[in-house]
Amino acid sequence: MPATDYQASFLGRISIRRNQVIAMDGNHEQELQDLELFSKHVSERFAELLSSPDDVPFDALLSISRLRKLLDFFLCCEAEFKGILMMGNDPSQISKPPLDRLIPEFLDRSVKALDVCNAVTNGLESVRHYQKLAEIVISALEQKPIGDGQSRRAKKALTSLMSAMNVDDKECSAAKATERSWSFSRRGVSSKDRVPEHFRSVSNQVAKNWSAAKQIQAMTNNLVPPRGAEGSGLASPVYTMSVIMVFVMWALVAAIPCQERNGLSAIHFPAPKQLNWAQSIIGLHEKIGEEWKKKEKKGTAGLLDEMQKMEKLGNILMDFTDSFQFHGDITDQKAEEAAAHAAELAETCRRMEEGLLPLQMQIREVFHRIVKTRTELLNALDQVGKSSPPLL
Amino acid sequence: MDGCQSGVPTYEGDLHIVAAAHHIFKALGATKNLSDDLRKILIDLDSHLSMITSNIDSTGGRGLVDVEERLDQAERKIMRWKTDPMMIWDSGPKEASDYLEAVDETGKLVDGLRGLSVHENRKQKEILHRAMNILQMAMSRLEEELIHILVRHGQQFEPKHMYSRSIRKDIVYDESFVSVEDEPTKETSSRSCSNDESGECIVDLVHADVIPDIKSIAKVMFTSNYGPEFCEAFISVQKEALEQYFSFLGTENLSIEDVLKMEWTCLSSKMNKWTWSMKIIIRDYLAGEKQLCDQVLGGLGSVSSYCFLEISKATILCLLNFGEAVAMGPHRPEKLLRLLDMYETLACLLRDIDTLFSEEAGSFIQLQFHELLERLGESAIAAFEAFRVAISSNGSLYPFAGGGVHPLNKYVMNYIRMFPEYCNTLNLLLKNQHPGVADQVTEPDYRPDASLLTSCPMAYHLRSITSCLESNLHKKSQLYKDEALKHIFLMNNIHYLVQKVKGSELRLFFGDEWIRKHNAMFQQHAMNYERATWSSVISFLKDNNPGSSSMSKSTFKERCKGFSVAFEEVYKTQTSWSIPDPQLREDLRISTSLKVVLAYRTFLGRNLAYTDDKCVKHTVEHVENLLLDLFGGSSRSLRNSRRW
Repeated sequence: MPATDYQASFLGRISIRRNQVIAMDGNHEQELQDLELFSKHVSERFAELLSSPDDVPFDALLSISRLRKLLDFFLCCEAEFKGILMMGNDPSQISKPPLDRLIPEFLDRSVKALDVCNAVTNGLESVRHYQKLAEIVISALEQKPIGDGQSRRAKKALTSLMSAMNVDDKECSAAKATERSWSFSRRGVSSKDRVPEHFRSVSNQVAKNWSAAKQIQAMTNNLVPPRGAEGSGLASPVYTMSVIMVFVMWALVAAIPCQERNGLSAIHFPAPKQLNWAQSIIGLHEKIGEEWKKKEKKGTAGLLDEMQKMEKLGNILMDFTDSFQFHGDITDQKAEEAAAHAAELAETCRRMEEGLLPLQMQIREVFHRIVKTRTELLNALDQVGKSSPPLL
Repeated sequence: MDGCQSGVPTYEGDLHIVAAAHHIFKALGATKNLSDDLRKILIDLDSHLSMITSNIDSTGGRGLVDVEERLDQAERKIMRWKTDPMMIWDSGPKEASDYLEAVDETGKLVDGLRGLSVHENRKQKEILHRAMNILQMAMSRLEEELIHILVRHGQQFEPKHMYSRSIRKDIVYDESFVSVEDEPTKETSSRSCSNDESGECIVDLVHADVIPDIKSIAKVMFTSNYGPEFCEAFISVQKEALEQYFSFLGTENLSIEDVLKMEWTCLSSKMNKWTWSMKIIIRDYLAGEKQLCDQVLGGLGSVSSYCFLEISKATILCLLNFGEAVAMGPHRPEKLLRLLDMYETLACLLRDIDTLFSEEAGSFIQLQFHELLERLGESAIAAFEAFRVAISSNGSLYPFAGGGVHPLNKYVMNYIRMFPEYCNTLNLLLKNQHPGVADQVTEPDYRPDASLLTSCPMAYHLRSITSCLESNLHKKSQLYKDEALKHIFLMNNIHYLVQKVKGSELRLFFGDEWIRKHNAMFQQHAMNYERATWSSVISFLKDNNPGSSSMSKSTFKERCKGFSVAFEEVYKTQTSWSIPDPQLREDLRISTSLKVVLAYRTFLGRNLAYTDDKCVKHTVEHVENLLLDLFGGSSRSLRNSRRW
């Protein structure tokens, strides 16, 4: 979208400015301090994310609780960023070079981020569905003594769980829609009636042909660190915030099933290491990127820690149910192992139960925050535009 | 027969019964003949025993053997369907209830055996496993049956309300304001959604006859702890059905980016579709869905609302996101009415939404819609302001040819003619909005006895809009070099304004005072026109010496010529001017005619002596006829006219 589209209404709009703060001399000093503080906070926050506590292995980096922390940080950075951009400065600055170009680009990124938020929200619905299936597995395996019946019940739910995770991963081309093996065995399929067969529903899509990976790739367009004199001005927080936004969206997409993620690992953003605040982000990006590359080959529904656990335990329990059916009975030791795995799965489900909805709400909050800032920036641009002589 | 031994009595009472049974057993073994009385007692006992079947752990009967037999029986009933290609519920109510009975029996046996399992009897364990296996098979089957019933008896959904699809013709907006139909097609408004009575019957999504069947499946599945499986199957079918219906409505998922880039005509139709789909989905479809969930899962605590939420969430989020995207987009004036449609629709659906998602889990959705409403309102206000700004800032470089009704005027008036329909909403939204100070041109003093409508916020804003329009038209009129044409332009446009107000509900908001004032205004311009054009022409006919009875012939000739030339000049120019309104044109011609023809007639009458002279180029009738050609919009010249 060309930059001018954002100034959109040549018609403009009248609104009462709340944030109009008149810049005064001597504010420059303050501004520099604000900028410094901002990048300091950014750097601290992401360093905190990078340094995982000793008791948590690194792959728990993308656990639900970590993601929630990441989003918290995003919201904090965002608030600070807006403060710097809108409050302490001469409002006319945002319409002067280089911001006259950078702000519309930033807004463009924001809109793309909104679609990513929606895609992730849809993805979380899928994760919640996995959780429900896993809970069936657990309730089947919980019953003692374990017999063929429960084993079958668990296997059936496991099959749906694994294929659900698989379908979501198979980047959902409508043609590849898979029959829902769990619910629709022989009769369901042979029934001449309408049979629901697309596991991933249409409404889980952001839009036809939409791709999370492409979207994030597009967000990195024009994303270059400010050079020379620009580096000391407002161009730098705009750049910083953009990188944060791209990173957060990228991490969410890597963690949670999303529409079309091919090429996600190829995305790298041009954050130079010499920038202090960027180091932790680059570190996080590298680590997650490595994980993604590893999993990409095998195929995964996402790097979300809980989901990976679920996948792993699902596979183990699947083997267990298979062997159960093959041998007709099992040793006590095997039964104990299975029970332990089921308990672990139950623990994972519990964490999902606790965390998924709040995570979803938080993503919605991020969504609304981005919308709000966008609106305020547009209004500010409008306001500035109005003070220039109108076209006649 | 070791039945008595393997029965595991757990209570003292049971031990007594067992002891008694041993006695009877022994006694019977020693007896060859039974008296009728004794036989009767034993038969009674037998039938009594067969009645006590449910509590295996307290069984005093034949214990595990009995259990096994019962399980065998249930298994036969259940397994028989394994190879049958028919669906059970399609085969008849008897088959279905037999099957359910068998499943129920199996479930009870499982429960009973579980109660015993502490004793770790191998045989028991074996039977328990077998029972659970059968139960699992039956549950899978029930799931299939459930899906089959839901799919097969799903009703073709017809909305109970007829919501007209294309609500009204869209006024196409473009910056040149030229593409305006003057008379928009008469719209059939069905926006109001208060036409609904509560307690109306709700559409059945699944045929009412099969509800008990679904309920019975739900009951037995939940009793056997297969509730989650039931929910999964139920949700998957119903969700799929909703999504199919949703796409049948023609609603597709759009990314926010797509919506923001969308061309207006396309966006407008999508906004219409949203308004339409929202009503159908929320009021009809989801009401039906909720009813179904409640009917089937009513007694099971929060299960019903959980299923309902899972079924509807994805679709609801789609609708929400489109709303968000629209509210976020640039606030162009043309969006106003569509935004108001969306706002009003959502405003009156909020109550339904609150009811549908009243449970705690749904409060998230409630909240999102409440917030969306707020944003749509803000967006509508912004579009309203944009509209006002668009009117003030619409500029032209050249005068509008012919002095007719300017397209901006047409656009604005046809647009605001729709506002009264949105009166309540606009009043609500504009309550705290003050029109810009600069725009408050002439606000007549509305007396307290004036109707309420003229003093509502919308009326205030409407008048502010027309005064923006008027000042813009004044600005445009300055572009005319010809003073007379300037007045024609203003006369035409103000007349148009007044007509539009008078001819629609707008009059109630503008009030008589406004109309009177504006009538006077365009009449003033008509008079100014006459003065500007005709006073110089008529001046040739004026008698400079009112005292004397006649003028000299040469003066007469000169005056005659002067008049003809001036008249022909006016004729040539003003035939190309236009007064689109026939009545207004007629009135102006008459009043012009009265002045000009009368002066001419008097002039000629006074100088009868010279009138046969060739210098009198036009007869009075001629002039009268020629005046009829003025303001026709196409230039004519007397020299080329076929009249000559």
